[in-house]
Formats: sequence, structure tokens, C-alpha cells
Amino acid sequence: MSEAASTSGPGVSVEIDDIQSGALHARPSPYVGRFFLLRIDDRHAGRAMLGRMLPATEGGLPTVNPDQGAWVTVALTFQGLRALGVPQESLDSFPPEFQQGMAARAEHLGDTGESDPAQWEKPFGTPDVHMGIVALAPDAERLQKALEHERAALQETPGVEIIWQQEVHQLPGGRTSFGFRDGISHPGIEGVGSGTNPHEAPLKAGEFILGYPDETGNLPPMPQPEVLGRNGTYLAVRKLHTKVAAWRQYLRSNSSSPEEEGLLGAKMVGRWPSGAPLTLSPDHDDEALGADPHRNNAFGYKENDDRGLKCPAGAHIRRINPRDATIVGATRLHRIIRRGTSYGPPLPEGVLEDDGADRGLIGVFIGAHLDRQFEFIKSEWVEDGNFIGFSGEKDPVAGHHDGTGTMTVPAKPVRRRLQNLPSFVVTRGGEYCFLPSLSALRWLSELKG
Amino acid sequence: MTTEQETPQSTQPKRPGRTDGVMTEFTVFTKIKPEEADALREDLAAMSSQGDARQAMEQIGTLHSARHVMFDNGTRHMFASVFDGSWDSYIDDFAKTAVGERFERVFRHTEGFPGIKDPNVKDWFAAQQQTAGVFATAYPDLTVQQVWKDQRVNQAFQEVLDTPEFRAALDNPANAALLATPAFQKLLNEAQG
Ligand code: HEM
Repeated sequence: MSEAASTSGPGVSVEIDDIQSGALHARPSPYVGRFFLLRIDDRHAGRAMLGRMLPATEGGLPTVNPDQGAWVTVALTFQGLRALGVPQESLDSFPPEFQQGMAARAEHLGDTGESDPAQWEKPFGTPDVHMGIVALAPDAERLQKALEHERAALQETPGVEIIWQQEVHQLPGGRTSFGFRDGISHPGIEGVGSGTNPHEAPLKAGEFILGYPDETGNLPPMPQPEVLGRNGTYLAVRKLHTKVAAWRQYLRSNSSSPEEEGLLGAKMVGRWPSGAPLTLSPDHDDEALGADPHRNNAFGYKENDDRGLKCPAGAHIRRINPRDATIVGATRLHRIIRRGTSYGPPLPEGVLEDDGADRGLIGVFIGAHLDRQFEFIKSEWVEDGNFIGFSGEKDPVAGHHDGTGTMTVPAKPVRRRLQNLPSFVVTRGGEYCFLPSLSALRWLSELKG
Repeated sequence: MTTEQETPQSTQPKRPGRTDGVMTEFTVFTKIKPEEADALREDLAAMSSQGDARQAMEQIGTLHSARHVMFDNGTRHMFASVFDGSWDSYIDDFAKTAVGERFERVFRHTEGFPGIKDPNVKDWFAAQQQTAGVFATAYPDLTVQQVWKDQRVNQAFQEVLDTPEFRAALDNPANAALLATPAFQKLLNEAQG
């Protein structure tokens, strides 16, 4: 695992400027943003809309400091590509799970019960969702500016309609609604940039961008024609409602002091609220460690904590990126880029009763292989535990439990086992999107017929 | 032979193979390339005597059993296995390990094999696969990981039973409350023989 970390792969030159910035950028911190879903009623209008959006859609890594810019990302669902009149043979060249869409994959992904697509917020999971637009900026003023172009483009384009939107914003301290700092860990990509964990060698570009060799040594299967597929990638977008009061109640009723409560939450997440990882600070939170970008993700599990006595193998961050820990399978084939953003008001500190507000995360998961990245992670790592030797246990944070969930927390002299875990997260909707390159957006906007 | 597809329960593309509890059976029949039967026989012999089969199983961690069988006078080959979960979720992972080399070594002698690292290898295997008419296991709830854990726990438990200190602890009135719990009674029940 300690292969030399180089930022550019041998012989791989990634056409960064053709890749939409949204795939490569870390989001600003703080941020405000807006997600839109659109329906294309007329393919000519849809193409014209893409053409008008092009000047506002940036490629590459324009600024070193992500806090300086604002940017807009344009993505399309399979139904959207069809609505634009993409030729059938080209549609057929997309992978089956993308063609089916996220709702059709619900059983595989564990979206059942209250997360069942039948319960999803409309228009998620319906054939009406064609295009997704995300605008992110460091503040409201720059967001407005970034959105002006979209607004104008929409006004000039009857036949394309906004059917859903969601405002997102960073909560105080960059924390998610559960109170834990997010957005710390990001993988490095050969030829694009280094990651936040110096012990993880950058991944092959083909794990995240179509058209380049991936970790298996192959080129990822790429939609055709080449101009459409190359430099594109896939997004799994999910609206995840968080039951913050239920989370707090669970911690409260399963511990006997505020300290124990804090430790229990940290054992479930794998980090303390400040972001300090349990692996480096097993007994108490460490604000300075949490805030230090050179240290807060610089760790593996194998050498000092393979058994999980510090950070349980079942903790959210260790399941979802086992790093160098002993597991069934090969971690590097199941890495993902994450752009999570928060929505809704925070539940005030100390409140244990649900106030009925909708709050959570719009999770965007990026990778060139929906099947062995997002889908594998969700089905094998979040919804099961056999890969870490705890068959049937699920991710205590992101898993869909039915009130009977368990989590083994290794400890000396004997492990603790959490019982009766309910779901703290409900899927309110989700879509698989294709994130075309700038060349592909142009190609789509110029389709004929 | 015709393949009997199970009716898919969900919209996810379902691979053939019958399941029992946590386990799936996976059996493929292939044609051995003309003139390569002896080479395959030698490879199988080498792979079985090297003792690294066990090591490969440990590396996989989800494979209960596997066998390679040559038949029809060395013209055909069967690979039959039982594993936890769905086979194609992990095939890419396996290809990256020693298991990938072992598969390559055997299946290179069979017709049409695209190579273990070929992106279409899953489809190739699925096309050679025949679903069992009956598939039953003695311990349908246990994954390989759990079997290993259970074995380790039982071994340790037996060693504890062998210690005189444990016998003494049972007789110690200070432990009466523990002994009286239903959970401990279950344990003692298993300890009686
Ligand atoms: C509402 C549900 C979720 C919450 C509240 C949540 C929260 C968090 C937090 C607090 C972290 C630690 C910050 C960091 O390491 O950057 C984290 C890390 C992470 N999460 Fe989640 N998460 C959720 C759902 C998911 C889902 C569904 C996935 C993927 C399928 C996911 C993937 C990841 C990954 C890949 C990491 C980085 C782990 C690492 O590299 O160590 N999360 N999440």
C-alpha cells in the first residue's frame, strides 16, 4: 500500500480541461449550492439548452483554491439521453445498471421499506428526470452569479422545465446533520491530483474518468461514440434524509454518560465530531487533529489497528474505505469520489425530539464503474458485513436497518455488541447520471434529426 | 445441455446458479482445447500438490469448496464451486489475486476463454455455466468467514474446558450468578460432551 504516491501516472496524460470541473473539484468550504432536476419535453429544446449552458460549464481545475470559484455541473440520466434523441446504438452502449436507473436497482442497493422507490419524493425514480444541474459556490452572491446563465438559458428554452430543486448549504463547522465533520477523505487520481491520504497511492485515472486504463489494467467499458464517452463519468445522486433525533436518542439510551455517548457515536462513524480519526485518537476527540489537513486523513488500519480495537471494522468510514485493512476482496477496485452536501436546518444542539424538518445530505458519488464502485460499496460494504467477518451486520450510519441491526465494537476484554439498530438514514430519491465531457456536451447540443 | 435460468426476482440482471441460504453454487462446463488435455492434467496436478490451494482459499475468504474435473476422455472440463454471496460482485477482485493466476492457468486450456482480466470474462463464465437442479448445504446460514470464526471459538472453548482453573471457577460460589444465566447454561450444555 505504500507505493510511492505520484500525482501523474506513468504515460497517462489526462485531458483535464475536457472534464467537467464538478467531477474533479473538491467543493468549496463553506459552500452554498442548488440542485435542479429538469425534464426535456422536446429534443431540439434540450439540445439548445445544453448549447446555452456550455459557456457556463467549466472544465478542468481552474483554480488551485476551490474556495475562489463557483461552478455549474450538467449531467444526464439515461432517459435524458433518450429524450435528447441520442441514437439507439449509442444508448445501447451504456452499462445495464445505468440504463435501468437507480430506482430499478433498489433491491440490490438495499432501498427497501421506507427507502423503497415507491415512497420517494417525486420526480425521483420516474422517467421524467432527464437532466441534473448542480451549482456550487462559496457564498450566495457567487451562487446567484453562477445561476444567472442557467436562468437565462432556461427562459430562452421552452420545452425544458425544472421539475425539482433543492437548496444545499454547509452547516456550521462543515458538519453533517449528525454533527460530524464531513468532506475530509478524498482519493488521489493519477494524472489529476493527489488525495488526502498520503498512504494511499493515487488510483488509475480509469477508475474515475472514461477513456483511461483502470486498476484492472483495462479501459472501462465506454459508451459510444468515443466523443460521447471519453472524459465522461457517472454520478450516483442520492437524497438521504437523516433522522437526527433518532440518532441522538440511540446514543443516549445506549450509554451512561456524555463521554460514553461521544465515544459510541465516534465508534459508529470512525471519526470524532471534529473529524479526528479514531485510529489516531482512539479515546477522545482532538480538535487540532480534526482540523489539520496534513494529519486528519494520514492513516491506514493494518499496522496498528487491524482488529479494530480503535476504529471498529464496522464503523462507517472503515467500511466504506477499508484502506489497507484485511478484508475479503480488493479495496482499490471499490473507491469512489464523494461530493456530499447538506440540506435542511440543523436540529438544535441537545434536542432529542424530532421536529419534523427534512434535513440530510444530497450525496453525489462519482466513478467510472457504477457496478463495482457505487453499487458494490452500497450492497457489499454498507448493507452487509461478510467482507469484514461480520456477516449480516450493516453500516451503523448509512445502512438500512429494520430496528434489529447489530454492530460489533471490538474491545478488551470482550467486544461490545450494539443491538436493535434502527435506520438513521432514509433514501428519499436517487438517480444515476452520466456526466459528459465538455466535448460530449457540445456533441449532444449539435445532434441532428 | 440447456441452461435452466432461475426466474429473476428483481430487475437486476441475474446470473445463473442456485442459492441455499447465504451460498450460491457455480458450475461451469468447458471444452478442452484439442491437444491440451495433458497440459491441463499437468497443471491440475501441480496446483493440487503445491498446497497453495489452501492459501488461495484463505485469500478468497468466501469460497466453501471448489473442484476441477476432467471428463469425456480429456475432452471436457468441469469447475464446480460453492461460495458466499454473488459470484460476479467479486470476480474483479479475484482476478487481482493469486486466484486469478490459478483460473488463468486452468481455463487457458479451454476453448474460447478470453483471459481472467478480460472485461467480458463474467459473461463468458455465465455462458458456460449450468445451474444445478438441486443444491443443498448442511449449514445454509454460515459464510466461510463465520465457519472460520466458529472453528477458532470452539477450539479456544475446548482449551478453556481443559484447564483445571475453569473447573474450579465453576465450583466457586462467587460465580453462581453467572452460571445461572440462560446464556451460560447454554454454554454449559455444549460443554457437557
Ligand atoms: C446520510 C448518510 C451519510 C452520512 C451522514 C455520512 C457521513 C460521513 C462522514 C461524517 C464521513 C467522515 C468524513 C470523511 O472521511 O471525509 C464520511 C465519510 C465517507 N462516506 Fe459517508 N455518510 C453517509 C452516507 C454515505 C454513503 C451512502 C456512502 C457511499 C455509498 C458514503 C461514502 C463515504 C466515503 C467513501 C467516505 C470516506 C471514507 C474514508 O475515505 O475514510 N457515505 N461519511
